[in-house]
Amino acid sequence: MDGRTDHLMTFRDLAVTYNVDERVPIRAVDGVSLEVRPQEVVGILGESGCGKSTLASAVLRLLAPKAKCEGGVLFRGRDLLNLSKAELRAIRGREIALIAQDPAQSLNPVITAGSLIGEVLRAHLALDAGQRRERVMELLGEVGFGRPEEIYSAYPHQLSGGQRQRIAIAQAVACRPALLIADEPTSKLDVSLQAEIVELLSRIRQQHGTAILIISHDPALFAGFADRIAVMYAGRIVEVGSCFEILGRPLHPYTQALMRIATAGMSAGARASERLPTIAGESPDPGCLPGGCRFEPRCSERMEVCSLRYPQAFSPEPTRPVNCFKYGE
Amino acid sequence: MPNLPTNLPSNLTVGGLSDRSFLRVSGLSKRYVRGGLWRKRVPVAAVISADFEILRGQTLALVGESGSGKSTVARCVARVERPDAGQILIHGRDIARLSSHELLPFRSGIQMVFQDPVTSMNPRFSALEVIEESMLMDRHASANAEKLRDRQNHGDQENRRNRARALMVEVGLSPDWMHRSILDFSGGQRQRLALARALALQPQLLVLDEALTGLDVSTQAQIANLLLDLQTAHRLTYLLISHDLALVARLADAIGVMAGGRMVEVGLTQQIISNPCHSATEKILASAKASAAKLSVVTGASS
Repeated sequence: MDGRTDHLMTFRDLAVTYNVDERVPIRAVDGVSLEVRPQEVVGILGESGCGKSTLASAVLRLLAPKAKCEGGVLFRGRDLLNLSKAELRAIRGREIALIAQDPAQSLNPVITAGSLIGEVLRAHLALDAGQRRERVMELLGEVGFGRPEEIYSAYPHQLSGGQRQRIAIAQAVACRPALLIADEPTSKLDVSLQAEIVELLSRIRQQHGTAILIISHDPALFAGFADRIAVMYAGRIVEVGSCFEILGRPLHPYTQALMRIATAGMSAGARASERLPTIAGESPDPGCLPGGCRFEPRCSERMEVCSLRYPQAFSPEPTRPVNCFKYGE
Repeated sequence: MPNLPTNLPSNLTVGGLSDRSFLRVSGLSKRYVRGGLWRKRVPVAAVISADFEILRGQTLALVGESGSGKSTVARCVARVERPDAGQILIHGRDIARLSSHELLPFRSGIQMVFQDPVTSMNPRFSALEVIEESMLMDRHASANAEKLRDRQNHGDQENRRNRARALMVEVGLSPDWMHRSILDFSGGQRQRLALARALALQPQLLVLDEALTGLDVSTQAQIANLLLDLQTAHRLTYLLISHDLALVARLADAIGVMAGGRMVEVGLTQQIISNPCHSATEKILASAKASAAKLSVVTGASS
């Protein structure tokens, strides 16, 4: 890609392989190329086990030691996979920050909320204690706490799930990073809280121009928030497009099936005891993937060629690469 | 009966016990005590006088925000917790105050499935052992003659194995996976296994505490359909706990809404959705609708 300068981050043919014991190596991410532009919200849609969390963790090199990365993750022209530990430390939390799925697990339970946020500031910025405290109060207000002083000295267990996720977001945005990675930030929360968290992230993007890579299995989360969506299935991206294109007019059979399920959820005349639309079967075992298209065994539109080889990206529309033989051969 | 919730449809007779009534809960209250040891002990009312009824073979969904007390109701009905006050009538027999010994004959009839099934299974077990365990436990628990006869039916190992195999097929798992560790199963498969384990005891009531939460959209739909199939096949009664109104609306015959430990509204699903009477119901409904609306703005725009 030539216009690399206008990309904030680029995955270049990234592959992540887990070598566990004597078992077959598992290629959780297999040749993913995707770019995130400054201030852009990119969604990664996929079911559990498709490699989307591995992809997110690979950016900040948070993978288990047994994971091997190939390809590149370019951030502002530097390959994150080749940086030294010290160089990486300067980027983590400062330029790229992560919001984990379950704040109950990612927040240290014996440290107060205020110190949890202050800790990030101390690691990266030269502020004295007073300035830090002031800054933490500002951040607490920014993530929607009406009375920051009360939250400042609270321990994570004294807070609700939604409040904890706000603390995690305050930590992540403390140093005004250029890129936020949010891995299923709402999947452990109530429906009403989910909307609030997405709203908060959306506001952060508008106010500070933070680019966001957001990962979810729920297409509804991206609606009205993401600019572009990449759909992942069994370690590979099968389709990329704008939010409207992917959710409104999906081209890949997997995305189409997923959207049928998502839009059936709350059909106006929801009747009890009526079967829901589904996708038959399960996603493939990453240890033994089908030789051709990975969605082929579950696809309702499969053709002979689908089981023979993996479909390259076709472009039925100029800006929409789709890996499916429906659109060419 | 104190404080009947509003909006009760005529066929959900709470006042008189209808003969189709399977589970009837009235005045259920449960307090927990926070603090203790060195800190001051403060009682927290988790559930305050909840009333509801489920007909045999039907589904009641309890919805509410986290902390509204819905899980406490579930745990009391399954008698994992002992309620402080109120009645839990199963077939007209009150199990609310029974001792653990008196509860033994009721245990197999009420089974519970949790949000994260793996935390309720021994991680060193294979799928077969998970299913088998509940059959073995039931044998230990039952001393009466009827169960002794039953013991001869599925007492020996071969019989247990055959039943486990049949249960796995029924919930959509390959019996070839019988000897795999449960850690090799995906989230959806584990939830299927949890259902197989629950069904092993031929229960009449399943208490499903957020059993669909945390699953993928497509897996969630598969498990929801499985629940519908199992309900028809075994005439099961479900008490379904969820915070996702959009989802349970597709599964439940009736919905009870909880807020601040109280059951603020009970009614038929259609009625709750089209004509909510309590502000808590309206709030939950609004957030479900908002999320659907956001999606339909996007999907409707270009289709």
